[in-house]
Amino acid sequence: MASRRSANWWTLWGLLILLWALFPLLWMVSLSFKDPGTFRGSTPQFFPEEWTWKNYDTVFSDSLFTSALRNSAGIALIATGLSVIVAMFAAYAIARLDFPGKRLILTVALAIAMFPQAALVGPLFNMWRGLGIYDTWIGLIIPYLTFALPLSIWTMSAFFRQIPWEMEQAAQVDGATAWQAFRKVIVPLAAPGVFTTAILTFFFCWNEFLLAISLTSTDRARTVPAALSFFTGASQFESPITAIMAASVVVTIPIVILVLAFQRRIIAGLTTGAVKG
Amino acid sequence: MSEIIIKNLVKEYGDGFLAVNDVSLDIGDGEFMILVGPSGCGKSTLLRMIVGLEDITSGELLINGERVNDKKPRDRNLAMVFQNYALYPHLTVFENIAFPLRLRGGMTGDEIRAKVEDAAATLELTEHLDRKPGHLSGGQRQRVAMGRAIVRKADAFLFDEPLSNLDAKLRGQMRTELLRMQRRMGTTTVYVTHDQTEAMTLGDRVAVLRRGLLQQVATPRELYEQPVNMFVAGFIGSPPMNFIPGTLDGGTISLPFVSYELPSDTREAVGDRSKVYVAIRPERFEDASLADAAKRASGVTFRATVDVVEWLGNEQFAYIPYEVPHELETELHELERELDSERMRSQLVVALEPSSKIVDATEAELWFDPRATHLFDPESGDNLTLNPEPAVADAPT
Repeated sequence: MASRRSANWWTLWGLLILLWALFPLLWMVSLSFKDPGTFRGSTPQFFPEEWTWKNYDTVFSDSLFTSALRNSAGIALIATGLSVIVAMFAAYAIARLDFPGKRLILTVALAIAMFPQAALVGPLFNMWRGLGIYDTWIGLIIPYLTFALPLSIWTMSAFFRQIPWEMEQAAQVDGATAWQAFRKVIVPLAAPGVFTTAILTFFFCWNEFLLAISLTSTDRARTVPAALSFFTGASQFESPITAIMAASVVVTIPIVILVLAFQRRIIAGLTTGAVKG
Repeated sequence: MSEIIIKNLVKEYGDGFLAVNDVSLDIGDGEFMILVGPSGCGKSTLLRMIVGLEDITSGELLINGERVNDKKPRDRNLAMVFQNYALYPHLTVFENIAFPLRLRGGMTGDEIRAKVEDAAATLELTEHLDRKPGHLSGGQRQRVAMGRAIVRKADAFLFDEPLSNLDAKLRGQMRTELLRMQRRMGTTTVYVTHDQTEAMTLGDRVAVLRRGLLQQVATPRELYEQPVNMFVAGFIGSPPMNFIPGTLDGGTISLPFVSYELPSDTREAVGDRSKVYVAIRPERFEDASLADAAKRASGVTFRATVDVVEWLGNEQFAYIPYEVPHELETELHELERELDSERMRSQLVVALEPSSKIVDATEAELWFDPRATHLFDPESGDNLTLNPEPAVADAPT
């Protein structure tokens, strides 16, 4: 009975935390369906009196948003792809090989991760303008890579370390070259780690605001988080809040889909059964 | 078919530690060679040097007469079974076994299928081919690991303590199975173990290692009957051999519980030493009351107080504590520690017939044949009574 009761308590706590976390999201969804002209009614309500798609029409007909969506997707995907590939090789080397300066690389990576972004924005702005990559995709991809790589390397090297050495040695004895052993044995085994890192990196690039707003000026490279701050209402008397919320819902959807699609892969411990139970 | 020749192989680690120290060993074609020794003796390192997972510091390794020191593991064409099996968890049993074949290429899908199914049938894995290793029992995983080794025509099989993760019953079954398979396939096999039962039952020959040094390479029978030194003598046999300090006075040797005349042929071997270790296997003792008069006369009988008797059904063990001088005690302690066991006290272990009526805490009359004992030099630990002729000729043909 006692365990039953404590299980109930856990459920209750879980629900409370869920409510706490979901409330802003619900509020966002609800706002996005309210009429932009009348949502500030005299009797505030949580749910809209009248459900309307008007806000979604507004954001999708606005080139500010559609180009930002394109930029966001492109930049985030490219940065994630590059980051995962580079981090995978770096992490493998760090986990498996013994080379001078290994500790230094890890320490520097950690130091970069701890470096405040705000301190870099000014210098980057000037440098990017000098180099002519201000307000371009590459101008955002480079700093995103810099900030995503340390975390990716750390997470992935932890995953690689969990893979027993014998796996690779067995592959080598079975006739694999180092590259074949890496590709056919290590990469599939590290897949959960790679996915986890990829998703985390993608989230970071997708949501990043500070660099995005500072290093862009036009539709050429401005990403969604930055574009949202430029939203205005249909007239100066109309608040853009509902439209912003509609845009927020749109950019949240890919993330929700990603998490739902890959959560099994992230959680699944693929190495079970590799070695003795 | 192949032979492996190891010439003065040395493995030195960065800190100067010699894991394998000048080991030379010829492993004949089709031979089942066991590398055995307590943990840390270098047996696994030696095996990994043969397969190519450890670099060779100096010395030569020849497979089929070809020097392979600098060859990569993949080019040595050896198959290895790892202690923890090292199965590929993301592949099915079928793909695990097919893995080495696919890597080598040049084989059609049908050929691979036929070979894998053949290997699986040998190991009774046919019904598990579509499962992942994670869903298999320990014994099944072990068989998959063997399947991966036997599926291709490897020059030799290398086993690194393959049975040590199985429970005792399964281990016994797998041991027999393994021996049967090796005999049928006739493939040269090197097998590392710390278990002396595996060493004795499986090996054509057994190589005993201690701290990276090869102690003795011989057939199991020879190891048991003609150990070259105290280390080998203490390692082989269960329960282990008794080492009893004895003092010599002329032709008489005094043990803590009995004195007797040394047989004439061993007297010469002992020379002018005043102290030796007398080594007697527990199973060489007998309950004197069960021995007939002729037998009694041919050996030594003595009376001793039996502390504890363990009855096992097919035999029983009697323990007889005795006092030894302090300095010898520490020496014996050292040896025991090296043999991976903890010496609690000086005691004689005696294996008796199950029909013996000797009980706990009584005085018993025991018998042994001095010709069945060995004498060891207390300093070097060398066997002074080594018979130059092999005990029984059962060397591999």
